Amino acid sequence: MFFDVLLIGIMVGAIYTLVTIGYSMVYSILKLMNFAHGDVYIFGTFICYTLLSKYQLNPVLAILTAAVLGGILASFVEIVAYRRLRAGQHRMISMITALGAAYVIQNSNELKWGNQVMAFPSILSAKTFQVFGLAVPMTQIIILGIAVGLIILFTLFLKYHPYGKAILCVSEDIPTASLMGIPINRTITMVYFIGGMLGVVGGILYSTSYNAVSLAMGFRGTIIAFTAAVIGGIGSLGGALIGGMFLGICENFIGVYVSSSYRDPITFLLLIIILLVKPTGIMGAVEQTKV
Amino acid sequence: MEPTLENHGKQTGNPMTFKTVLNHPMFKKTAFLTAAAGCVLLPHIMTDTYYLGIINYMILYVILCMGLNLILGYAGLLSLGHAAFYGLGGYTTAILITRYGFGFLSCLILSGAIALLFGILLGLPTRKVRGDYFCLLTIAFGEIFRLVAQAWIGFTNGAMGIVGIPIPSILGWSIRTEVDFYYLGLILLGFTWITLSLLVHSKFGRAFIAIREDELAASVMGINTAVYKIIVFGIGCFYAGLAGSYLAVYQTTVTPSNFRLEESCLMIIMVIVGGMGSLLAPIAGVIIMTLATEYFRGIAEYRMLIIGVIMVAVLLFRPQGIFGTSAFKG
Repeated sequence: MFFDVLLIGIMVGAIYTLVTIGYSMVYSILKLMNFAHGDVYIFGTFICYTLLSKYQLNPVLAILTAAVLGGILASFVEIVAYRRLRAGQHRMISMITALGAAYVIQNSNELKWGNQVMAFPSILSAKTFQVFGLAVPMTQIIILGIAVGLIILFTLFLKYHPYGKAILCVSEDIPTASLMGIPINRTITMVYFIGGMLGVVGGILYSTSYNAVSLAMGFRGTIIAFTAAVIGGIGSLGGALIGGMFLGICENFIGVYVSSSYRDPITFLLLIIILLVKPTGIMGAVEQTKV
Repeated sequence: MEPTLENHGKQTGNPMTFKTVLNHPMFKKTAFLTAAAGCVLLPHIMTDTYYLGIINYMILYVILCMGLNLILGYAGLLSLGHAAFYGLGGYTTAILITRYGFGFLSCLILSGAIALLFGILLGLPTRKVRGDYFCLLTIAFGEIFRLVAQAWIGFTNGAMGIVGIPIPSILGWSIRTEVDFYYLGLILLGFTWITLSLLVHSKFGRAFIAIREDELAASVMGINTAVYKIIVFGIGCFYAGLAGSYLAVYQTTVTPSNFRLEESCLMIIMVIVGGMGSLLAPIAGVIIMTLATEYFRGIAEYRMLIIGVIMVAVLLFRPQGIFGTSAFKG
């Protein structure tokens, strides 16, 4: 029982990490709480749902299409609602436009797909196999594999690819990066695109492992992403991993051993406590105020 | 005519421009008295209870938004948990009236006090937590409040909410019709406006405006920024508690869905459309947004879409709002 819960926790944690990465990157570059993140990922998940259940598309193709569309939507939101506000305005302003953008996407999703919980087709094999006497479902292993694979891929991209290095430069210091000839706007749009894509993949994996998709998962995803990013420390991939895993595992243990209706309140309470004890997160560094 | 060097700073010539008339104390006094008389006489002119009901909700939101404006526009804290304090007030009144037989006036005061208490408790972390994290904290608090109200069936009756809140009465005046509720709302609104303008124009008020303009400079000038922020946050929440109490008796029910995050967002957008940092500006925001949502009632499924578009458009093209004095400073 304990190990089953732990295993599901790790799987959920890996999915949360995927959702968190894009969010954390955006935050570390722009210091912007992207409220639209969750609604973008639920948009992609809905697209995938339609492609799978209505058009019986090949799952890999469906996931890729949904991820690309999610990425495009995320960059579109950035271009329309955030770019104009980047220079000279208080961060709070773009945070509120983010909220507005979130509502627009959420409402559009609702108009198209409604607000009911829908059965998401299971696209992975339902086989189980034995490890140390535990029955481990194949689905969980595949999901964990995809999530960890994408995290590693993204880390390598950031470290070795010129575009990845550009992202790191911009997140360090925007003016200096632009003096070095890095196209700021294009890099930031790319961050949104990648973040949206990873988020959509995370959303699809989450939906397929629970066989359900609903509108309400969107906003919850935003909160989960921000909570995980804050717990781990914003802006670092390791932080996103720690935060995502911590949240996924905690949530499952609370849901199983305490009470499932108090799962979310306790998760939020945990967040408040962590913010109070260590406001910069587990991996975060202290930011100095410049005079 | 503007005072210039040539006329030695004195206003000479014909001073009766449009602007000088608007700023003249006599005009201000007359305008204020006319507006006040209009407010008092309104239910006798507009007898349709449907429209009066809309106006009562507007008054409710004006009280909420004035409190939120104190937090957002004067203290510069983005709070997305205002609906939770509104809900605390609502549930306090509902539970005290239906289960313990309290009078409405004591409920009103207690609702405000409980919202104030929780506001100060939630404000305490502002000492350590930076702006955006504080915003997350308020979201977390708002969600905790709503989810607990939904899950704690023994105390809050869960998602069904508390129903059958009796007709309130203050000092023998029993409040039953829309007109009675209009006057109750007007009294609360007057109280809110008078206390807030006294607060904003006091030494205390100038101190937290200084904090909003430049926190570091204010702290160097010897203002204890942390304490001020906590107190301002608590006071803003106090008015939300009053509004919640009003909602409970007006609606005769409270349910967790009255206090969702969307409500907090709606209040934020009302404050922003009206303009932050000016006491009466939220009124404009409330009127515009209420009329817009009423007007679009036929296409209710697009409601959040329209609100979202207004939110983005206002901030892109006029971030200080329609009547606002200042936007956020970087």
